[in-house]
Amino acid sequence: MVKMTRRNFLKTAAATGVASTSLKFSFNEYSKAAANAEVEKRHTLCNGCSNMCGLFVYVKNGRVVKAEGNPIHLKNKGKICARGHGMVADIYNPDRVTRPMKRVGEQEFEPISWEQAFSEIGEKLTGIIDEHSANSVTWLEHGVRGKNYADIFLDYIGSPNYITHYATCFSSKTNVWSRMMATNLFGDHENSDYMLFVGRNFAGGIIPNGMRKVLKATRERGAKLVVVDPRCCELAKVADEWIPIKPGTDLAFFLAIAHVLVTEDLKDRKFTREYVENFEEFWNANRNCTPEWAEEITDVPADKIREIARDLAKHAPKAFLETGYHGLNAHYQNSVQQAQMNVIINALLGNMYQRGGLLPSASVEFGQFETKRPPEKEKGPRVDGAGEEGPYATVEAVRGIPQRVPQLVEEGKIKALFIYHYNPLRTCPDPEYQKKIKDADLVVSMPIDWNETSLYTADYILPECYFMERAELPVQTSGHITHDYPQIAMRTEVVEPMEDTKPLLDIMKGIAKEIGAEEYFDFTVDDWAKAMIEPLGVTLEHLKEAGCIEFRNQGIDPKFPLEGGEPALNTPSGKVEFSVGLYKVNGFSGVPRWIPPKVEPKRQDEFRLIHGKQPWHSHHITSNNPYLMAISEQYDATRMWINKERADKLGIKTGDTVTVESEIAKKEVEVKATELLHPDCVWVPSAYGGFSKKAETAYGVGINWNDFLPAMVEPIAGSTMGQEVIVRVRKEGK
Amino acid sequence: MANYAMLIDPDRCTGCGACRMACQMQWQLAPKMYYNRVEFKESGKYPNAKMEILPVQCQHCEEAPCLNVCPTGATNKGHGGIINVDSDNCIQCKACFYVCPYDARVIDQETGVPGKCKFCAGFISQGETCVSTCMNDVRVFGDLDDPTSKITKLMKEKDVYQLLTREGTKPSIYYVGNKLELSGK
Repeated sequence: MVKMTRRNFLKTAAATGVASTSLKFSFNEYSKAAANAEVEKRHTLCNGCSNMCGLFVYVKNGRVVKAEGNPIHLKNKGKICARGHGMVADIYNPDRVTRPMKRVGEQEFEPISWEQAFSEIGEKLTGIIDEHSANSVTWLEHGVRGKNYADIFLDYIGSPNYITHYATCFSSKTNVWSRMMATNLFGDHENSDYMLFVGRNFAGGIIPNGMRKVLKATRERGAKLVVVDPRCCELAKVADEWIPIKPGTDLAFFLAIAHVLVTEDLKDRKFTREYVENFEEFWNANRNCTPEWAEEITDVPADKIREIARDLAKHAPKAFLETGYHGLNAHYQNSVQQAQMNVIINALLGNMYQRGGLLPSASVEFGQFETKRPPEKEKGPRVDGAGEEGPYATVEAVRGIPQRVPQLVEEGKIKALFIYHYNPLRTCPDPEYQKKIKDADLVVSMPIDWNETSLYTADYILPECYFMERAELPVQTSGHITHDYPQIAMRTEVVEPMEDTKPLLDIMKGIAKEIGAEEYFDFTVDDWAKAMIEPLGVTLEHLKEAGCIEFRNQGIDPKFPLEGGEPALNTPSGKVEFSVGLYKVNGFSGVPRWIPPKVEPKRQDEFRLIHGKQPWHSHHITSNNPYLMAISEQYDATRMWINKERADKLGIKTGDTVTVESEIAKKEVEVKATELLHPDCVWVPSAYGGFSKKAETAYGVGINWNDFLPAMVEPIAGSTMGQEVIVRVRKEGK
Repeated sequence: MANYAMLIDPDRCTGCGACRMACQMQWQLAPKMYYNRVEFKESGKYPNAKMEILPVQCQHCEEAPCLNVCPTGATNKGHGGIINVDSDNCIQCKACFYVCPYDARVIDQETGVPGKCKFCAGFISQGETCVSTCMNDVRVFGDLDDPTSKITKLMKEKDVYQLLTREGTKPSIYYVGNKLELSGK
């Protein structure tokens, strides 16, 4: 008997004249037609994280099919990470909000028209302002994509309350650098000979061209890369050395590095003499911070600290302590002081404005858009207190204190909330506390998908169209890595908005019309964009087509800024200020001093709960993406990491489900028992713990550090102190 | 003729998953259908432990076990030694899936066809998508018959190894650096 296979069936069929159509015929025909359709490549800027890499998106039959990196854009130079590819899939995510919604019950909504939504929101908002003043109105967003339009809105009504997410991210860093340096400098990874990364997983929170530069320096030139982190992160994997540190003690490690640089006369004397203010005050406060002292606190051997300090100095100025990002800068009671030490160590190395050390960003001057602005209204003090006289006087007002919002709602100080591209219920501490946001008289959420904040707290959901479906104002591409020439880039509309969603500007126009502010939104993105780029000598058409343009005629000048031979940073002294005057007048130390972490694990089952980015997720923003979550599933990547030896003592092994409990929450999660983690802590990836039933891919998968973290405010920069939380871990059922 | 091959440097890989995602988009695959993967490993004892990552995909073997077991010729060897799957001829018997020592076949849940890396056949002039998206330049693809190709030059300079040589499959994928073992099935 001849074995009948598909192949010889088809052969037989052809020989006997049977029509050899298969069930797939029509589909194949369709595929052929579809395959032959023209493919267009259009440019946008990625939204997979906040780096906004340049993307060319392939559009076929009106559908986005794939993306590739823009080879010019300095953040990615033709490369994109998994998130960037994942963004292509998210445009068709079934969990997008497809039309305006009005709450009709607990997690229950009905679709309404845009006109009805605008009209009802306008009426309620006007009523709230009349009764409670504009000070009770707050705009809350990730930052800063909505700020241009939010500012007009807030100016019109007379509210000072623009609050961002940065307290959960890096507000200690920005607070410190704006005061000690009055500018930002970034590691020149490519030209460095020695790079020290502390609490910064460059391969987790990814800038593709940054990783490329690091590998180029280490693999092609033999530059040394040292990673200090409680966890052997993905960057540590490609480093010369991973040095585990007790979490929360990085400040002590830094103080000891500085101690070696000073006592062994390794610091850059000329730089310290000419460009540093208040070195003595710093040194007098920290003379006793020896490597031996730090070893006790950090678990990093004193000899290793000496070795690192000496290596830094040996390679200076082509050596730096990476200036960091989320890790460390919103995490501990001593985050501000550790951020100060970052500036101090780099200054002592004399690497500032030096190739291979730290460099400024190249930048261009955008033109001003002359549009009709609302008449100036007197605004009251900020409702969150950021930058106002009182306990939060040193917090940057441009950042705000988002974790105070639920409390301010409860106290009746916030009555109306506009929440744009932000999901505090999942990304701010203590979701149960965050749910109080619902009690405001008016909550308007402007998301893409059914995130937790919209589902639990919004009275109205005004869905923004996906980033590939809208144009945004041009931006400079600089930040976090260095590049010799300035670039501008623009997010353009790759495809038409799907369903009944709108770009933010159109949403603002709709609301503005109802509150009498229509005339202040009488412009298009193109109008504003043209005014911005007008002085640069490029046309909007050119920018839209290229996506990203580099200006080769104006490069950076790696020299310390001087005016008439005198140091001219925008600080009071013109120098790098080791002591921050503003901190002093508000009762804090101007110079960093050792402050221990706020909480400590003590018992055998207690651990500090720390978190970090997995390379294919951007905290919670990507956790409803079916492709990126498929990666998580395949690698059991929702597991909580626990040090193997500590796990053994508790009778816990990889794959076990454990109970994790803090003061405010108790959850269950699978664990990975590993040699790659400091024994003091457990680590969770930051992407998981979705609890919106309408975001199905993320729903119920894994746990989130915010579940366990009480809402707190670090007093100087206002951060959430995201790793000042102790959990108890036990095997399920015990 | 051509002799296509790939050189993978696991030491450079940080496990970001871009290669997998780029490939899924290139070939319009479903979320759980993928043609390349990484294996995360660890070695040593805290604090002297380290993480290792091994990228794995179809090895386009010269002596491909899947080629030998395929009853219909759906699996075939094409230009430059690329192992292809002709899904129209596949009867979904899964023999290739079970026989592959590299666990490189993934069953398409819709069609039942065991798919795998195609070495981006048809796109070769544009570059393999797993190669071109990679920020760490983990992979180099090229023609070993071309003495001027980057891969030919690198293969001469570096000590390379292949996975599971005991299987006698003669893979077209070579690895450099510290030898890593496949965890596989």
